[in-house]
Amino acid sequence: MRSFIYILVQLSIVLLFAPLVNGIIKKIKAFSQKRRGAPVFQMYFDLSKLMKKNTVISDVSSWIFKATPYIVFSTSVIAALLVPVSTFIAPDQMPGDFIMLVSILALGRFFMMAAALDTASTFGGMGSSREAMISSLTEPSILVSMFTLGLISQSTSITQIMNKMGSTGTPLLHPVFIMIFLSLFTVLFAETARIPVDDPATHLELTMVHEAMILEYSGRHLALMEYGAAVKQLVFITLLINLFFPHDQSIALTGISAVCLSLLIYFIKMVCISVVIALIEVNTVKFKLFSIPNLAALAFILSLLGFLQYFVLGGSHV
Amino acid sequence: MSELFNSLSILILLSSFILMANKRVKSYIKTFRFQSFLIAFAAGIIGVKSILEEGRFDVLLVCLVIIILKVIYIPNLLNKMQLNVEYKVEKDFILNIPILIMGCCAIVMFTYFSLSGTDIVSRGAINNQIVNSISLTLIGLFFMISRKKAIGQIIGFLEIENGLFITALYMTGGMPLIVDLGTFIDLLTAVMIMGVMVFRINEKFESINIDKLNNLKG
Repeated sequence: MRSFIYILVQLSIVLLFAPLVNGIIKKIKAFSQKRRGAPVFQMYFDLSKLMKKNTVISDVSSWIFKATPYIVFSTSVIAALLVPVSTFIAPDQMPGDFIMLVSILALGRFFMMAAALDTASTFGGMGSSREAMISSLTEPSILVSMFTLGLISQSTSITQIMNKMGSTGTPLLHPVFIMIFLSLFTVLFAETARIPVDDPATHLELTMVHEAMILEYSGRHLALMEYGAAVKQLVFITLLINLFFPHDQSIALTGISAVCLSLLIYFIKMVCISVVIALIEVNTVKFKLFSIPNLAALAFILSLLGFLQYFVLGGSHV
Repeated sequence: MSELFNSLSILILLSSFILMANKRVKSYIKTFRFQSFLIAFAAGIIGVKSILEEGRFDVLLVCLVIIILKVIYIPNLLNKMQLNVEYKVEKDFILNIPILIMGCCAIVMFTYFSLSGTDIVSRGAINNQIVNSISLTLIGLFFMISRKKAIGQIIGFLEIENGLFITALYMTGGMPLIVDLGTFIDLLTAVMIMGVMVFRINEKFESINIDKLNNLKG
Protein backbone atom coordinates (compact mmCIF):
# COMPACT_ATOMS: atom_id res chain seq x y z
CA MET A 1 0.00 0.00 0.00
CA ARG A 2 2.74 2.39 1.00
CA SER A 3 4.70 1.79 -2.19
CA PHE A 4 1.53 2.26 -4.24
CA ILE A 5 0.97 5.68 -2.67
CA TYR A 6 4.64 6.47 -3.20
CA ILE A 7 4.48 5.65 -6.92
CA LEU A 8 1.27 7.65 -7.31
CA VAL A 9 2.53 10.79 -5.54
CA GLN A 10 6.02 10.60 -7.00
CA LEU A 11 4.83 10.15 -10.57
CA SER A 12 2.20 12.86 -10.38
CA ILE A 13 4.66 15.37 -8.89
CA VAL A 14 7.44 14.62 -11.37
CA LEU A 15 5.27 14.43 -14.47
CA LEU A 16 3.40 17.57 -13.48
CA PHE A 17 6.39 19.76 -12.65
CA ALA A 18 8.94 18.59 -15.23
CA PRO A 19 7.76 20.88 -18.08
CA LEU A 20 7.41 23.77 -15.64
CA VAL A 21 11.18 23.84 -15.02
CA ASN A 22 11.80 24.32 -18.72
CA GLY A 23 9.14 27.02 -18.81
CA ILE A 24 10.76 28.97 -15.96
CA ILE A 25 14.22 28.73 -17.52
CA LYS A 26 12.93 29.85 -20.92
CA LYS A 27 11.03 32.76 -19.36
CA ILE A 28 14.12 34.05 -17.54
CA LYS A 29 16.21 33.70 -20.68
CA ALA A 30 13.58 35.71 -22.54
CA PHE A 31 13.66 38.44 -19.87
CA SER A 32 17.44 38.63 -20.20
CA GLN A 33 16.99 39.37 -23.90
CA LYS A 34 14.34 42.08 -23.21
CA ARG A 35 11.58 39.89 -24.65
CA ARG A 36 8.34 39.00 -22.98
CA GLY A 37 8.78 35.36 -23.92
CA ALA A 38 6.37 32.46 -24.11
CA PRO A 39 4.15 31.78 -21.07
CA VAL A 40 5.62 29.64 -18.31
CA PHE A 41 3.22 26.82 -19.19
CA GLN A 42 4.12 26.81 -22.88
CA MET A 43 5.70 23.38 -22.78
CA TYR A 44 2.44 21.81 -21.58
CA PHE A 45 0.63 23.30 -24.59
CA ASP A 46 3.41 22.13 -26.91
CA LEU A 47 3.29 18.61 -25.57
CA SER A 48 -0.50 18.32 -25.80
CA LYS A 49 -0.45 19.64 -29.36
CA LEU A 50 2.36 17.29 -30.39
CA MET A 51 0.45 14.37 -28.90
CA LYS A 52 -2.45 15.04 -31.29
CA LYS A 53 -0.29 15.26 -34.40
CA ASN A 54 0.66 12.53 -36.81
CA THR A 55 4.11 11.03 -36.73
CA VAL A 56 6.22 10.84 -39.87
CA ILE A 57 8.56 7.86 -39.97
CA SER A 58 11.29 7.38 -42.52
CA ASP A 59 10.87 4.31 -44.77
CA VAL A 60 14.44 3.17 -44.25
CA SER A 61 14.31 3.19 -40.46
CA SER A 62 14.02 0.03 -38.39
CA TRP A 63 12.13 -0.82 -35.20
CA ILE A 64 14.75 0.95 -33.10
CA PHE A 65 13.56 4.28 -34.40
CA LYS A 66 9.95 3.55 -33.43
CA ALA A 67 10.72 1.98 -30.06
CA THR A 68 13.20 4.62 -28.86
CA PRO A 69 10.74 7.36 -27.78
CA TYR A 70 8.93 4.90 -25.54
CA ILE A 71 12.20 3.54 -24.15
CA VAL A 72 13.59 7.03 -23.49
CA PHE A 73 10.42 8.19 -21.78
CA SER A 74 10.03 5.07 -19.66
CA THR A 75 13.68 5.04 -18.56
CA SER A 76 13.32 8.67 -17.47
CA VAL A 77 10.17 7.82 -15.52
CA ILE A 78 11.83 4.80 -13.85
CA ALA A 79 14.79 7.01 -12.96
CA ALA A 80 12.32 9.49 -11.46
CA LEU A 81 10.87 6.69 -9.31
CA LEU A 82 14.33 6.01 -7.87
CA VAL A 83 14.80 9.57 -6.59
CA PRO A 84 12.06 10.41 -4.08
CA VAL A 85 10.87 14.02 -4.00
CA SER A 86 10.35 13.77 -0.26
CA THR A 87 11.86 11.25 2.14
CA PHE A 88 8.53 11.06 3.99
CA ILE A 89 6.73 9.29 1.18
CA ALA A 90 9.61 6.95 0.30
CA PRO A 91 8.92 3.32 1.25
CA ASP A 92 11.32 1.71 3.72
CA GLN A 93 12.57 -0.94 1.36
CA MET A 94 12.95 0.63 -2.03
CA PRO A 95 14.37 -1.46 -4.87
CA GLY A 96 17.21 0.13 -6.80
CA ASP A 97 20.06 2.44 -5.88
CA PHE A 98 22.20 5.10 -7.52
CA ILE A 99 24.11 2.61 -9.64
CA MET A 100 20.75 1.54 -11.03
CA LEU A 101 19.87 5.21 -11.60
CA VAL A 102 23.02 5.86 -13.63
CA SER A 103 22.65 2.67 -15.66
CA ILE A 104 18.96 3.27 -16.40
CA LEU A 105 19.71 6.75 -17.67
CA ALA A 106 22.57 5.27 -19.71
CA LEU A 107 20.16 2.74 -21.26
CA GLY A 108 17.85 5.51 -22.44
CA ARG A 109 20.78 7.44 -23.79
CA PHE A 110 22.10 4.38 -25.61
CA PHE A 111 18.81 3.92 -27.45
CA MET A 112 18.63 7.61 -28.24
CA MET A 113 22.07 7.44 -29.86
CA ALA A 114 21.19 4.25 -31.72
CA ALA A 115 17.97 5.77 -33.06
CA ALA A 116 19.82 8.85 -34.22
CA LEU A 117 22.18 6.61 -36.18
CA ASP A 118 19.28 4.52 -37.47
CA THR A 119 17.85 7.07 -39.90
CA ALA A 120 21.32 7.58 -41.36
CA SER A 121 20.96 11.34 -41.47
CA THR A 122 24.25 13.17 -41.11
CA PHE A 123 23.10 15.31 -38.20
CA GLY A 124 21.94 12.29 -36.21
CA GLY A 125 25.29 10.57 -36.49
CA MET A 126 27.11 13.75 -35.50
CA GLY A 127 24.81 14.33 -32.52
CA SER A 128 25.13 10.79 -31.25
CA SER A 129 28.92 10.77 -31.51
CA ARG A 130 29.04 14.01 -29.51
CA GLU A 131 26.57 12.70 -26.96
CA ALA A 132 28.67 9.55 -26.56
CA MET A 133 31.73 11.68 -25.86
CA ILE A 134 30.00 13.98 -23.37
CA SER A 135 28.25 11.21 -21.48
CA SER A 136 31.37 9.08 -21.16
CA LEU A 137 33.18 12.13 -19.80
CA THR A 138 30.55 13.03 -17.21
CA GLU A 139 29.53 9.60 -15.97
CA PRO A 140 32.71 9.02 -13.86
CA SER A 141 32.08 12.20 -11.90
CA ILE A 142 28.49 11.18 -11.06
CA LEU A 143 29.62 7.76 -9.94
CA VAL A 144 32.59 8.95 -7.87
CA SER A 145 30.49 11.59 -6.11
CA MET A 146 27.66 9.17 -5.40
CA PHE A 147 30.12 6.54 -4.16
CA THR A 148 31.60 9.06 -1.74
CA LEU A 149 28.13 9.88 -0.41
CA GLY A 150 27.47 6.15 -0.24
CA LEU A 151 30.64 5.59 1.79
CA ILE A 152 29.63 8.32 4.20
CA SER A 153 26.10 7.01 4.70
CA GLN A 154 27.11 3.33 4.54
CA SER A 155 24.52 2.54 1.90
CA THR A 156 23.97 2.76 -1.84
CA SER A 157 20.26 3.44 -1.52
CA ILE A 158 19.36 6.99 -2.49
CA THR A 159 16.76 7.31 0.29
CA GLN A 160 19.31 6.25 2.91
CA ILE A 161 21.83 8.78 1.57
CA MET A 162 19.17 11.50 1.66
CA ASN A 163 18.32 10.66 5.28
CA LYS A 164 21.99 10.77 6.24
CA MET A 165 22.51 14.10 4.50
CA GLY A 166 19.45 15.48 6.23
CA SER A 167 20.82 14.54 9.63
CA THR A 168 24.11 16.42 9.06
CA GLY A 169 22.38 19.80 9.33
CA THR A 170 23.70 22.09 6.59
CA PRO A 171 25.72 19.82 4.29
CA LEU A 172 27.06 22.67 2.18
CA LEU A 173 29.29 23.89 5.02
CA HIS A 174 31.17 20.61 4.95
CA PRO A 175 34.30 20.35 2.74
CA VAL A 176 33.36 16.93 1.31
CA PHE A 177 29.82 17.88 0.37
CA ILE A 178 30.74 21.27 -1.05
CA MET A 179 33.05 19.61 -3.59
CA ILE A 180 30.50 16.96 -4.49
CA PHE A 181 27.76 19.55 -4.86
CA LEU A 182 29.88 21.58 -7.27
CA SER A 183 30.72 18.44 -9.23
CA LEU A 184 27.11 17.30 -9.53
CA PHE A 185 25.98 20.80 -10.39
CA THR A 186 28.50 20.90 -13.26
CA VAL A 187 27.31 17.48 -14.39
CA LEU A 188 23.71 18.72 -14.37
CA PHE A 189 24.52 21.14 -17.17
CA ALA A 190 26.13 18.41 -19.28
CA GLU A 191 23.40 15.86 -18.65
CA THR A 192 20.47 18.15 -19.36
CA ALA A 193 22.03 19.68 -22.47
CA ARG A 194 22.34 23.18 -21.06
CA ILE A 195 24.50 26.01 -22.25
CA PRO A 196 28.17 25.56 -21.40
CA VAL A 197 27.96 22.12 -23.04
CA ASP A 198 25.02 22.23 -25.42
CA ASP A 199 22.52 24.88 -26.42
CA PRO A 200 18.89 23.72 -26.05
CA ALA A 201 17.55 26.55 -28.22
CA THR A 202 19.74 26.11 -31.25
CA HIS A 203 19.28 24.22 -34.49
CA LEU A 204 22.64 25.27 -35.89
CA GLU A 205 24.33 22.14 -37.13
CA LEU A 206 27.74 23.07 -35.79
CA THR A 207 26.67 23.29 -32.18
CA MET A 208 23.66 21.10 -31.49
CA VAL A 209 24.02 17.82 -29.63
CA HIS A 210 20.73 16.81 -28.08
CA GLU A 211 18.63 18.55 -30.72
CA ALA A 212 20.57 16.80 -33.49
CA MET A 213 19.59 13.43 -32.11
CA ILE A 214 15.86 14.14 -31.99
CA LEU A 215 15.80 16.02 -35.27
CA GLU A 216 14.09 13.20 -37.20
CA TYR A 217 11.24 12.80 -34.75
CA SER A 218 7.80 14.33 -35.09
CA GLY A 219 4.38 14.23 -33.49
CA ARG A 220 3.84 11.93 -30.55
CA HIS A 221 7.38 10.56 -30.70
CA LEU A 222 8.87 14.04 -30.43
CA ALA A 223 6.58 14.81 -27.49
CA LEU A 224 7.77 11.69 -25.68
CA MET A 225 11.43 12.49 -26.33
CA GLU A 226 11.07 16.06 -25.04
CA TYR A 227 9.01 15.00 -22.07
CA GLY A 228 11.62 12.35 -21.25
CA ALA A 229 14.40 14.95 -21.36
CA ALA A 230 12.40 17.27 -19.08
CA VAL A 231 11.75 14.46 -16.58
CA LYS A 232 15.45 13.55 -16.56
CA GLN A 233 16.31 17.18 -15.83
CA LEU A 234 13.88 17.24 -12.91
CA VAL A 235 15.41 13.99 -11.59
CA PHE A 236 18.81 15.68 -11.36
CA ILE A 237 17.33 18.79 -9.75
CA THR A 238 15.49 16.61 -7.20
CA LEU A 239 18.71 14.78 -6.44
CA LEU A 240 20.49 18.09 -5.78
CA ILE A 241 17.67 19.46 -3.61
CA ASN A 242 17.24 16.40 -1.44
CA LEU A 243 20.95 15.72 -1.05
CA PHE A 244 22.38 19.17 -0.49
CA PHE A 245 19.45 21.33 0.64
CA PRO A 246 17.55 18.87 2.83
CA HIS A 247 14.52 20.16 4.68
CA ASP A 248 12.67 17.01 5.77
CA GLN A 249 14.45 16.66 9.12
CA SER A 250 13.49 20.12 10.30
CA ILE A 251 9.75 19.65 9.77
CA ALA A 252 8.16 19.06 13.15
CA LEU A 253 4.72 18.01 11.90
CA THR A 254 3.63 14.44 11.35
CA GLY A 255 1.34 12.61 8.97
CA ILE A 256 -0.20 14.08 5.87
CA SER A 257 0.48 17.73 6.78
CA ALA A 258 4.23 17.01 7.04
CA VAL A 259 4.18 15.51 3.54
CA CYS A 260 2.33 18.53 2.18
CA LEU A 261 4.72 20.99 3.82
CA SER A 262 7.70 18.99 2.58
CA LEU A 263 6.37 19.00 -0.97
CA LEU A 264 5.67 22.73 -0.76
CA ILE A 265 9.25 23.47 0.32
CA TYR A 266 10.45 21.11 -2.39
CA PHE A 267 8.48 23.08 -4.97
CA ILE A 268 9.94 26.41 -3.79
CA LYS A 269 13.47 25.00 -3.89
CA MET A 270 12.86 23.56 -7.35
CA VAL A 271 11.84 26.98 -8.63
CA CYS A 272 14.92 28.55 -6.99
CA ILE A 273 17.29 26.02 -8.59
CA SER A 274 15.63 26.55 -11.98
CA VAL A 275 16.19 30.28 -11.61
CA VAL A 276 19.85 29.70 -10.69
CA ILE A 277 20.31 27.40 -13.69
CA ALA A 278 18.72 30.00 -15.96
CA LEU A 279 20.94 32.76 -14.56
CA ILE A 280 24.06 30.66 -15.11
CA GLU A 281 22.90 29.82 -18.61
CA VAL A 282 22.34 33.48 -19.39
CA ASN A 283 25.74 34.48 -18.07
CA THR A 284 27.94 31.88 -19.77
CA VAL A 285 28.84 31.21 -23.35
CA LYS A 286 28.70 27.81 -24.97
CA PHE A 287 32.07 26.07 -24.93
CA LYS A 288 33.48 24.75 -28.13
CA LEU A 289 33.29 20.98 -28.32
CA PHE A 290 36.94 20.40 -27.59
CA SER A 291 36.81 22.50 -24.43
CA ILE A 292 34.20 20.19 -22.90
CA PRO A 293 36.88 17.70 -21.73
CA ASN A 294 38.36 20.55 -19.66
CA LEU A 295 35.03 21.14 -17.94
CA ALA A 296 34.49 17.41 -17.47
CA ALA A 297 37.99 17.02 -16.05
CA LEU A 298 37.25 19.80 -13.58
CA ALA A 299 33.96 18.14 -12.57
CA PHE A 300 35.67 14.79 -12.14
CA ILE A 301 38.48 16.31 -10.10
CA LEU A 302 35.96 18.09 -7.88
CA SER A 303 34.33 14.79 -7.03
CA LEU A 304 37.71 13.12 -6.58
CA LEU A 305 38.82 15.94 -4.26
CA GLY A 306 35.67 15.43 -2.23
CA PHE A 307 36.51 11.74 -2.06
CA LEU A 308 40.07 12.55 -0.96
CA GLN A 309 38.88 15.00 1.67
CA TYR A 310 36.71 12.24 3.09
CA PHE A 311 39.82 10.15 3.67
CA VAL A 312 42.01 13.06 4.78
CA LEU A 313 39.41 14.03 7.34
CA GLY A 314 39.11 10.45 8.49
CA GLY A 315 35.96 8.56 7.61
CA SER A 316 34.29 8.92 10.99
CA HIS A 317 34.39 12.71 10.98
CA VAL A 318 31.15 13.27 9.07
CA MET B 1 34.05 27.09 13.40
CA SER B 2 36.53 24.46 12.24
CA GLU B 3 33.95 23.36 9.64
CA LEU B 4 34.12 26.84 8.17
CA PHE B 5 37.92 26.82 8.04
CA ASN B 6 37.91 23.35 6.47
CA SER B 7 35.50 24.55 3.81
CA LEU B 8 37.50 27.73 3.21
CA SER B 9 40.71 25.76 2.80
CA ILE B 10 39.12 23.39 0.28
CA LEU B 11 37.66 26.37 -1.60
CA ILE B 12 41.12 27.95 -1.78
CA LEU B 13 42.48 24.67 -3.14
CA LEU B 14 39.61 24.60 -5.62
CA SER B 15 40.52 28.10 -6.82
CA SER B 16 44.01 26.82 -7.65
CA PHE B 17 42.46 24.05 -9.75
CA ILE B 18 40.33 26.60 -11.57
CA LEU B 19 43.46 28.68 -12.12
CA MET B 20 45.11 25.65 -13.66
CA ALA B 21 42.11 25.09 -15.95
CA ASN B 22 42.11 28.69 -17.19
CA LYS B 23 43.31 29.44 -20.67
CA ARG B 24 43.66 33.20 -20.93
CA VAL B 25 45.73 35.72 -19.03
CA LYS B 26 42.66 37.78 -18.13
CA SER B 27 41.03 34.82 -16.44
CA TYR B 28 44.27 34.01 -14.59
CA ILE B 29 44.12 37.45 -13.05
CA LYS B 30 40.42 37.13 -12.22
CA THR B 31 40.93 33.77 -10.52
CA PHE B 32 43.96 35.04 -8.65
CA ARG B 33 41.86 37.92 -7.35
CA PHE B 34 39.22 35.44 -6.19
CA GLN B 35 41.83 33.27 -4.47
CA SER B 36 43.35 36.26 -2.67
CA PHE B 37 39.88 37.33 -1.61
CA LEU B 38 39.25 33.91 -0.06
CA ILE B 39 42.58 34.10 1.75
CA ALA B 40 41.77 37.59 3.00
CA PHE B 41 38.42 36.25 4.21
CA ALA B 42 40.11 33.46 6.17
CA ALA B 43 42.60 35.93 7.62
CA GLY B 44 39.74 38.26 8.52
CA ILE B 45 37.90 35.58 10.47
CA ILE B 46 41.05 34.54 12.31
CA GLY B 47 41.79 38.23 12.93
CA VAL B 48 38.40 38.92 14.48
CA LYS B 49 38.78 35.78 16.58
CA SER B 50 42.21 36.82 17.85
CA ILE B 51 40.94 40.31 18.72
CA LEU B 52 38.07 38.88 20.73
CA GLU B 53 40.11 36.19 22.45
CA GLU B 54 43.62 37.63 22.87
CA GLY B 55 43.30 41.32 22.05
CA ARG B 56 45.74 41.05 19.11
CA PHE B 57 44.88 43.18 16.12
CA ASP B 58 47.84 42.30 13.88
CA VAL B 59 46.08 39.53 11.91
CA LEU B 60 43.29 41.91 11.02
CA LEU B 61 45.90 44.42 9.85
CA VAL B 62 47.48 41.72 7.67
CA CYS B 63 44.03 40.97 6.27
CA LEU B 64 43.65 44.64 5.29
CA VAL B 65 47.08 44.63 3.66
CA ILE B 66 46.13 41.51 1.67
CA ILE B 67 42.94 43.16 0.44
CA ILE B 68 44.75 46.30 -0.63
CA LEU B 69 47.76 44.53 -2.11
CA LYS B 70 46.62 41.22 -3.54
CA VAL B 71 42.93 41.79 -4.21
CA ILE B 72 43.18 45.32 -5.59
CA TYR B 73 46.67 46.57 -6.40
CA ILE B 74 48.59 43.63 -7.92
CA PRO B 75 45.73 42.35 -10.11
CA ASN B 76 45.23 45.88 -11.46
CA LEU B 77 48.96 46.15 -12.11
CA LEU B 78 48.92 42.83 -13.95
CA ASN B 79 45.88 43.89 -15.97
CA LYS B 80 47.68 47.06 -17.04
CA MET B 81 50.77 45.04 -17.88
CA GLN B 82 48.69 42.64 -19.92
CA LEU B 83 47.09 45.48 -21.89
CA ASN B 84 50.51 46.88 -22.77
CA VAL B 85 51.97 43.62 -23.98
CA GLU B 86 48.86 42.30 -25.64
CA TYR B 87 49.55 39.40 -27.93
CA LYS B 88 47.58 37.04 -30.08
CA VAL B 89 45.81 34.18 -28.32
CA GLU B 90 48.14 31.26 -28.73
CA LYS B 91 48.77 28.05 -26.93
CA ASP B 92 50.29 29.03 -23.64
CA PHE B 93 50.66 25.72 -21.85
CA ILE B 94 52.86 22.74 -22.47
CA LEU B 95 50.44 19.88 -21.75
CA ASN B 96 46.68 19.94 -22.31
CA ILE B 97 44.39 21.04 -19.52
CA PRO B 98 42.89 17.68 -18.40
CA ILE B 99 46.38 16.25 -17.92
CA LEU B 100 47.46 19.35 -15.99
CA ILE B 101 44.43 19.02 -13.70
CA MET B 102 45.16 15.32 -13.15
CA GLY B 103 48.72 16.36 -12.27
CA CYS B 104 47.35 18.78 -9.67
CA CYS B 105 45.29 15.99 -8.17
CA ALA B 106 48.37 13.78 -8.03
CA ILE B 107 50.11 16.62 -6.18
CA VAL B 108 47.33 16.72 -3.58
CA MET B 109 47.59 12.96 -3.05
CA PHE B 110 51.38 13.18 -2.85
CA THR B 111 51.12 15.91 -0.22
CA TYR B 112 48.68 13.90 1.79
CA PHE B 113 50.80 10.76 1.77
CA SER B 114 54.03 12.58 2.49
CA LEU B 115 52.48 14.50 5.38
CA SER B 116 50.47 11.64 6.84
CA GLY B 117 53.50 10.33 8.77
CA THR B 118 54.37 13.66 10.36
CA ASP B 119 53.42 14.83 13.79
CA ILE B 120 51.25 17.76 12.66
CA VAL B 121 48.88 15.67 10.62
CA SER B 122 48.59 12.70 12.90
CA ARG B 123 47.37 14.99 15.67
CA GLY B 124 44.33 15.24 13.48
CA ALA B 125 42.63 18.50 14.32
CA ILE B 126 43.92 20.62 11.46
CA ASN B 127 45.13 17.97 9.04
CA ASN B 128 43.13 18.77 5.96
CA GLN B 129 43.87 22.48 6.20
CA ILE B 130 47.61 21.77 6.24
CA VAL B 131 47.37 19.29 3.37
CA ASN B 132 45.28 21.67 1.28
CA SER B 133 47.46 24.70 1.85
CA ILE B 134 50.77 22.92 1.26
CA SER B 135 49.34 21.46 -1.94
CA LEU B 136 48.40 25.00 -2.93
CA THR B 137 52.09 25.95 -2.75
CA LEU B 138 53.12 22.94 -4.83
CA ILE B 139 50.36 23.55 -7.38
CA GLY B 140 51.68 27.11 -7.68
CA LEU B 141 55.09 25.68 -8.59
CA PHE B 142 53.43 23.34 -11.08
CA PHE B 143 51.52 26.28 -12.56
CA MET B 144 54.79 28.15 -13.03
CA ILE B 145 56.40 25.32 -14.97
CA SER B 146 53.29 24.59 -16.99
CA ARG B 147 52.94 28.10 -18.44
CA LYS B 148 55.24 29.56 -21.07
CA LYS B 149 54.25 33.20 -20.88
CA ALA B 150 55.83 35.52 -18.35
CA ILE B 151 52.55 36.77 -16.84
CA GLY B 152 51.46 33.19 -16.17
CA GLN B 153 54.69 32.66 -14.31
CA ILE B 154 54.16 35.79 -12.23
CA ILE B 155 50.73 34.46 -11.27
CA GLY B 156 52.32 31.12 -10.34
CA PHE B 157 54.80 32.93 -8.13
CA LEU B 158 51.99 34.83 -6.42
CA GLU B 159 50.09 31.58 -5.90
CA ILE B 160 53.12 30.03 -4.19
CA GLU B 161 53.22 33.01 -1.87
CA ASN B 162 49.48 32.64 -1.19
CA GLY B 163 50.07 29.00 -0.30
CA LEU B 164 52.88 29.82 2.09
CA PHE B 165 50.84 32.53 3.76
CA ILE B 166 47.76 30.38 4.24
CA THR B 167 49.88 27.49 5.57
CA ALA B 168 51.47 29.78 8.13
CA LEU B 169 48.11 31.29 9.02
CA TYR B 170 46.43 27.95 9.59
CA MET B 171 49.34 26.46 11.53
CA THR B 172 50.10 29.37 13.84
CA GLY B 173 46.90 31.41 13.87
CA GLY B 174 48.78 34.51 12.66
CA MET B 175 52.52 35.03 12.16
CA PRO B 176 54.31 38.00 13.76
CA LEU B 177 53.32 41.17 11.95
CA ILE B 178 56.85 42.11 10.90
CA VAL B 179 57.36 38.76 9.11
CA ASP B 180 54.15 39.09 7.13
CA LEU B 181 54.78 42.70 6.17
CA GLY B 182 58.32 41.83 5.13
CA THR B 183 57.03 39.07 2.85
CA PHE B 184 54.48 41.36 1.29
CA ILE B 185 57.04 44.06 0.54
CA ASP B 186 59.32 41.44 -1.03
CA LEU B 187 56.37 40.24 -3.09
CA LEU B 188 55.49 43.72 -4.26
CA THR B 189 59.06 44.43 -5.28
CA ALA B 190 59.32 41.10 -7.09
CA VAL B 191 56.13 41.70 -9.04
CA MET B 192 57.19 45.20 -10.02
CA ILE B 193 60.64 44.03 -11.17
CA MET B 194 59.04 41.18 -13.09
CA GLY B 195 56.67 43.70 -14.68
CA VAL B 196 59.58 45.74 -15.92
CA MET B 197 61.23 42.56 -17.21
CA VAL B 198 58.05 41.68 -19.09
CA PHE B 199 58.16 45.06 -20.81
CA ARG B 200 61.81 44.60 -21.72
CA ILE B 201 61.29 41.10 -23.12
CA ASN B 202 58.33 42.39 -25.08
CA GLU B 203 60.28 45.31 -26.52
CA LYS B 204 63.21 43.20 -27.57
CA PHE B 205 61.39 40.20 -28.97
CA GLU B 206 57.86 41.54 -29.69
CA SER B 207 56.47 38.72 -27.57
CA ILE B 208 56.56 37.69 -23.95
CA ASN B 209 56.98 34.03 -24.74
CA ILE B 210 60.01 33.04 -22.72
CA ASP B 211 60.92 30.33 -25.22
CA LYS B 212 62.35 33.13 -27.28
CA LEU B 213 64.95 33.83 -24.61
CA ASN B 214 66.72 30.79 -26.05
CA ASN B 215 67.68 33.02 -28.99
CA LEU B 216 70.18 34.67 -26.68
CA LYS B 217 72.25 31.51 -26.55
CA GLY B 218 75.33 31.71 -28.71
